Amino acid sequence: MTNEKTKETKQAKPPKEMVKLLVDGREVEVEKGSYILHAAEKLGIRIPTLCYYKHVQPYAACRICTVEVKRGHKVRYVTACNYPAENGIEVVTTSDRIKAIRKLIVEFLLARCSKVKVLRELADELGIKESPYGYGEEGCILCGLCVRVCNEVVGAKAIAFAGRGIDREVTTPFKVDSERCIGCGSCAKVCPTGYIKVASTEEDKIVHRDVTLGPNTAIYVPTMQAVPNKPVIDTTSCIYFRNGKCKICAKICPTEAIDHEMQDKEKEIDVGSIIVATGYQLFDPKKTMQYGYGRFDNVVTSLEFEKLNCAAGSTGGKVLLANGEEPKSIGIIHCIGSRDKNYHEYCSRVCCMYALKFSHLVKEKTGAEVYDFYIDMRSFGKGYEEFYNRLLEEGVRFIRGKAAQVSNEPIYPEEEGKLVIRCEDTLMGRVRRIPVDMVVLCSAIEPRDDSPELARLLSMCHTKDGFFAEKHPKLAPVSTATDGVFIAGCCQGPKDIPDTVAQASGAASQAMSLAAKGFIEIESATALIDDKRCTGCRICNDLCPYHAIEFIASDKISKVNDALCKGCGTCVAACPCSAIAARQFKDDQVMAEIEGVLA
Amino acid sequence: MIRTWEDLQEIRKRGAKKIHPDKIKIAVGTATCGLATGAGDVLKAVREAVEQCRLDAIVAETGCIGYCQKEPILDVCIPGFPRIFYSEMTPAKAKQLVEALAKGEHKPEWALGKILSETNLIDESVFNYTMEKAPIEIAKIHNLNDISFYKKQFKIVLRNCGMIDPEDIEQYIAMGGYHALFKILTKKRPQTDLIEAVKKSGLRGRGGGGFPAGKKWETVYKAPGDVKYVICNADEGDPGAYMDRSVLEGDPHSVMEGMIIGAYTIGSNHGYIYVRHEYPQAVRKFTKAIEQARELGILGKNIFGSGFDFDIKINRGGGAFVCGESTALMASIEGDVGEPRPKYIHTAEAGLWNKPTNLNNVETWANIAPIMARGADWFASIGTEGSKGTKVFSLVGKVKNTGLLEVPMGITLREVLYELGEGIPEGRRFKAVQTGGPSGGCLIVDTFGWKHREYLGDTAPPAVSYVTESLIDLPVDFDTLTEAGSMMGSGGMIIMDDTSCMVDIGRYFLNFLKEESCGKCTPCREGIRNMLSILDGISEGRGKPEDLDRLVEIAQVLQDASLCALGGSAPNPILSTIRYFRSEYEEHIFHKRCPAGVCKALIRFSIDPEKCTGCTVCVKACPENCIEGKKQKPHRIDEPKCIKCGSCQEVCKFNAVVIQ
Amino acid sequence: MIHEKVAAIIDKYEGDHESLIMMLQDMQDSFRYLPEEALRYLGERLDIPMTQLYAVATFYKAFSLTPQGDHTIHVCCGTACHVKGADRIVDRLERELHVKEGGTTLDKRYTLKTVRCVGACSLAPIVLIDEQAHGRLTQDKAAKLVRPKKTA
Repeated sequence: MTNEKTKETKQAKPPKEMVKLLVDGREVEVEKGSYILHAAEKLGIRIPTLCYYKHVQPYAACRICTVEVKRGHKVRYVTACNYPAENGIEVVTTSDRIKAIRKLIVEFLLARCSKVKVLRELADELGIKESPYGYGEEGCILCGLCVRVCNEVVGAKAIAFAGRGIDREVTTPFKVDSERCIGCGSCAKVCPTGYIKVASTEEDKIVHRDVTLGPNTAIYVPTMQAVPNKPVIDTTSCIYFRNGKCKICAKICPTEAIDHEMQDKEKEIDVGSIIVATGYQLFDPKKTMQYGYGRFDNVVTSLEFEKLNCAAGSTGGKVLLANGEEPKSIGIIHCIGSRDKNYHEYCSRVCCMYALKFSHLVKEKTGAEVYDFYIDMRSFGKGYEEFYNRLLEEGVRFIRGKAAQVSNEPIYPEEEGKLVIRCEDTLMGRVRRIPVDMVVLCSAIEPRDDSPELARLLSMCHTKDGFFAEKHPKLAPVSTATDGVFIAGCCQGPKDIPDTVAQASGAASQAMSLAAKGFIEIESATALIDDKRCTGCRICNDLCPYHAIEFIASDKISKVNDALCKGCGTCVAACPCSAIAARQFKDDQVMAEIEGVLA
Repeated sequence: MIRTWEDLQEIRKRGAKKIHPDKIKIAVGTATCGLATGAGDVLKAVREAVEQCRLDAIVAETGCIGYCQKEPILDVCIPGFPRIFYSEMTPAKAKQLVEALAKGEHKPEWALGKILSETNLIDESVFNYTMEKAPIEIAKIHNLNDISFYKKQFKIVLRNCGMIDPEDIEQYIAMGGYHALFKILTKKRPQTDLIEAVKKSGLRGRGGGGFPAGKKWETVYKAPGDVKYVICNADEGDPGAYMDRSVLEGDPHSVMEGMIIGAYTIGSNHGYIYVRHEYPQAVRKFTKAIEQARELGILGKNIFGSGFDFDIKINRGGGAFVCGESTALMASIEGDVGEPRPKYIHTAEAGLWNKPTNLNNVETWANIAPIMARGADWFASIGTEGSKGTKVFSLVGKVKNTGLLEVPMGITLREVLYELGEGIPEGRRFKAVQTGGPSGGCLIVDTFGWKHREYLGDTAPPAVSYVTESLIDLPVDFDTLTEAGSMMGSGGMIIMDDTSCMVDIGRYFLNFLKEESCGKCTPCREGIRNMLSILDGISEGRGKPEDLDRLVEIAQVLQDASLCALGGSAPNPILSTIRYFRSEYEEHIFHKRCPAGVCKALIRFSIDPEKCTGCTVCVKACPENCIEGKKQKPHRIDEPKCIKCGSCQEVCKFNAVVIQ
Repeated sequence: MIHEKVAAIIDKYEGDHESLIMMLQDMQDSFRYLPEEALRYLGERLDIPMTQLYAVATFYKAFSLTPQGDHTIHVCCGTACHVKGADRIVDRLERELHVKEGGTTLDKRYTLKTVRCVGACSLAPIVLIDEQAHGRLTQDKAAKLVRPKKTA
């Protein structure tokens, strides 16, 4: 859809008018309407800028990008960021005079804000050793980027310049928090000096629940291996959906693929087979109140901990406590909600191994003390047991016994300010208290809340634990009771990645074999309704476990869909008028068979 | 409603009757400068006296005839008498004068001058006053045009100021006003003709830069677009210049006529006049002028029945010098902060609301009607090669005759200072002339024989050439002033004597600019801040040898790298004072001395026992009670307590308080 | 009360954005400063963001965000006035009124301000009290201007 549209607009555009000019003696051709800065950029010539940002109108306030423009015999000093590239002009980007201008401007700005990093860098570049005009402590260089971004891009109009002359400043009206600020953080992002900060990050507080797998932006790729691997827009935080402006992502997208007007659509697709791979959900550890999840900031689930570890995530892969510090000790508690009579009796199968991985990563990244509280260590896969042995050597402390409680009430001095895990160490045979900074709960894998609904839709069965049931545990492990519907992965039961991939490959080949054949074979023994005898009572309709019988309203009789009928005979037995017969198993055929046997 | 030539002539006759009525007319100059010296009280006194004496006379108000030194001025027209101007009136004197008039007597001893005939600039018609009833003492009064202040003047812009009632459009028409406009509109003169005329006249923008007006008009005329604007820049910001105010207060219609002609030429239907809010009277008078013009069909729809529509809106400025800059002014009209924008695309092509805009200042507009009426050749015959016509200057500061004067371009400073200005009061010595306001510079008039110290920077030649010759014979026009490191500006001429310190003047302008810069671009904002802190250091005795070089360095960057003309010309006062008065800076830096006795940290007050008569006036005046002294014994200033306020010096009649 | 006054001013200029600065001037005249509430109301009525109003209100010298005295004293500090001793007059008035330039006396009677030029340079130095100009002043004369009114 989007692609077609893009093509149309691309074709509609007239060819762009170009202008030719000389920059530092080299000829360059740029689109009409661009500025000297762009022409220089095209040649790879760097002109320093402070108040320029490509998505807002050039402002020409800092004047650091001053260059020399020669047209005919007339030489002028102009700013590269907003002087239009014109045919036949000659631009000089460095000369003694220009250097002197830039030097003085940087010295002036240093005299105002001596601690700003970009200015220090520029000063080094221009060979300024010290500013003769003193060193000020200001943080703002009055480039106006924040004001312009807030006005032009965000449209919030929350900050402005106030005053004039040497008293000019950037502020909100009346210097109080502006009610128009939407907290988008754009101003802080464009601020070249880092003077503007977003209030919430100022405290450096990390809310583990909000940690994401990718950068925390309004347009993002959901996960690193997302399929399709394309970004989506979060409409609750995207500026366009809040203020109707910005659209910078659309402007910079080289294929013009972003369409903010596009709506979500429901599509109906006809398919030959369906593979159900709906996965699982994590057991909510709030139910196990004794572990303090939700009460203590530093008690986190395994998934949250995984996101902390993600290098592309919001902490950049650092394991951090809520106060932003590195933990000195971590406790990992296995079997939260699994192998537990109160919740799920089954084993979630993956927790032991990922707990071992966490232990290893924590040791590697922070060197913190790691305690693993387990019931049984289930490292049954290939190479798994070896990994466990390695960790024993790395000094991870394994404590066999289910943790009973996590509390923040110290008894001993070393427990001050820590979380205390109380547990029974079954190997030592006594109750222990272990103070740690952070607790990771290995929550159980459980069926999704909506799986009964899906089972009903696809006429699948599920087992006692709530996972979808396969047709046969050994002979048909990926099939379901409905032909053409296959299952793969954790929706069938907890499993780790290798197992999931194996099962998914099986399901895929099953589906492929159907598709390759091009047709399906149906049961020969199906039910058949005798039109003349059917009274249209519709008893059979609801009884059929395969939804194979339909009521034909116009004829007031029911009909069997041969493709769905499995020939189970339920309807045959139930029909009050004996209007339904089973092919191959008609009464007289059965009778004949019996007679044959008896003969 | 004026539709025909006859309509116009009818009004002209009516207006003429009002200027020269059949009975006594007493007009009081009630422009701002008059009011400041008590013209309001004088007017009241005249009204009361006329009432009391039952004198059959018209009491009117008029603008300013320019000789502000002599305000308040009364203009008395009596049938059968020449027109007489009485100067320096007080309510008491005014009362006596009216009483005298009621008795048929006169007060020739108070008269400033008389006028025997008036030549109308527009169509050269002459009005002669008769002397038939005038007694001999009246005949002995000087002709106004013979007194030194007026002798060399040539009035185009100020032609009607002080001569007519500015609030009466009929009187303006009586002086030939709106005749040029009527002919242009009703004969539908081609726009290109008019542009050609302005070009040929050589008229240059009187606002400061001196951009050729005809060229600007042509660009706007040729710029594509249906909507175009005409703006009159009356945000007269240069301190020391007030001709625009005077014209708006004394002859608003001359500006309006120019604007309507300009609008017709470029094809605009909307005009704006942007007036400083510090000029409330100008706003009032212009508002009234607009109303009257609308009534007569000179503004609004279908002007003179020609099918051309045009109207003017008044915008009051909010008090910002930078709004005199065209792009800032336009931003201000748009209701925004007056921040200039880069002019790589000229306002003639994309100005107000991004439409082609023809912006000229008050004085420029006021020149248009005379050019149209008398022809471009006539105008081009006045002035110098590069600068045609006349220029209004405000001669102020330490000079005997202060006021507004309109002289042909090319007049020398000597003529202005010594002939029109009649020299300097109190036996002081001329030192410098400041022109062009904060964008201009100080020109040297007297060097006092000071020698520059040897150049103390590194061996490189100094960046500015230092001049020590007097510029007293400099012919004044746009180009010579720019060459001399100053600027024409809007025409302020501030005369300084040996009690003005050039370092202090530099500081003064930077102090002015630090508040008036919009603060947008770094060189201007930070450059001014840093130059000021250097100058503060110099004037407080903390000057360092490298300071002058540093000032010149900053100044040059400001000239090259600032965003608008305000920043680009901001260093002019500094550069020109360094150029002409380097020695004075050096006195401050090396000897920690302020020769002019201005910089407080470098001076001390003392009483010359020789001259002091012991009158105790200064003892009473001293706010800090730090002067000791008994009657008829020389007094003494207790220096540690002295705050150097200068009160004692101000009150001392014997010049006994001296500054060292 | 504030709203009605502002509404009347808006009506006077027919809500024209081009007249924004004049509306603010009228507001300044009527309240003797620009009250926050008045600005907010103006912004709402004309659909002008507060940032623009605040920028304009702080940019132009004609406006103030704090209440001014009953009378405003403008000491002209144009060049002509400067060379004729305007500084001394400012100093004197500061001492006389016990306020700094820009400040308002405790009794809210006077606000002392400097102005860049009132265009009556031939009468320098000049002081404006409200709209009434007083020319050719000396320190003493300037002090007397504010003194009698103070005791009266």
